[in-house]
Amino acid sequence: MAVSVDPIHQFELQPLVSLGHIGNQQIAFTQSALYMFAAVGVIALLTIAATSSRSVVPGRLQALAETLYEFIADTVHQATGADGKRFMPLVFSLFMFVLILNLFGMIPYAFAVTSHLIITFGLALIVILTVVIYGVAKHGSHFLGVFVPSGVPKPLLLIMVPIEIVSFLSRPVSLSVRLFANVLAGHIALKIFAFFVVQLLVAGAWGVLSPLPLALTVALTALEFLVAALQAYVFATLTAVYLADALHPGH
Amino acid sequence: MSGSPSGGGSGPGGPPDEGDLSARLRRLETQLEGKRPKAAPAGPARAGTPGGSAQLGQAMRLSTEFIAGVIAGGILGYLFDHLLGTKPWGMMVLLMLGFVTGIYNVMRVSGFSGQKAEKDRRDGS
Repeated sequence: MAVSVDPIHQFELQPLVSLGHIGNQQIAFTQSALYMFAAVGVIALLTIAATSSRSVVPGRLQALAETLYEFIADTVHQATGADGKRFMPLVFSLFMFVLILNLFGMIPYAFAVTSHLIITFGLALIVILTVVIYGVAKHGSHFLGVFVPSGVPKPLLLIMVPIEIVSFLSRPVSLSVRLFANVLAGHIALKIFAFFVVQLLVAGAWGVLSPLPLALTVALTALEFLVAALQAYVFATLTAVYLADALHPGH
Repeated sequence: MSGSPSGGGSGPGGPPDEGDLSARLRRLETQLEGKRPKAAPAGPARAGTPGGSAQLGQAMRLSTEFIAGVIAGGILGYLFDHLLGTKPWGMMVLLMLGFVTGIYNVMRVSGFSGQKAEKDRRDGS
């Protein structure tokens, strides 16, 4: 495998199976789609196979699955209250999908699916459309109460309502950009610092400095694992917080 | 492989609906409450981790909330101008509004102005 200097190269989509063309655009089954299928497979394995024995004293995998489930159940319950339980499957699926894809991205030479804005924006759109459709279906026009902050004097509403509307529309943007930017920036930084090691080693006497970027790369790798888990957690928490708006629009 | 007979609990009935599930969960909770002498040592260790990660998560939010407000304002302004033909004005006004929204978002996340709103929401829910 040739070492490429370009830190962006790792994010290129490579079509594996071409499915035909629409106009000039090739429609293909890319490695991104392959990783997503693999993630779904791992999640299914973890949640279905690991808990199939249903033992009272859980084994390792079952304990892991139960810990993850309870963690998200707690988060959802705190944010949405008792009637938010119906959104538990959505939040748990999103959390697991993002978490597993982030962790896949940390495997050397693997492709980080969540470093593509369209993927994270698609996930954010699922959340926001669920909020809007469920909110309107359940509360009708009362759902517009989301845009009216409580305890604000009437004249100030003229300014606050447009701000709240833009704030609501900025939610999918912030949800998707946060995940995408963190993963993308982390992978680029890792690649650049790792390449510094190579560059210093071939630069003669400068080679004595090469342990410095090496140490930084190791530290950054640890940080990236933290970010991978934390971003999945933030995504799930914010999903639950936004879903709470759909359940109780007037705040 | 279905475990010990006492550990069943998977009802032979159809798919459980939500009310049924909540009732069963509550019953389980009360049953567990009696058999939980070791909750105290496990409590603090578990409470420490979510608190730290929640704060880190909030720090992560701060950085993007502001940018998201400006981007959302910019996109709205562009669409507004594109659809209504009010070339510079929609973008100017909505970009300013997006800027204000970004600052408002950051204040809300950091709890500057949102302390009260956040509590209101909790009470309302």
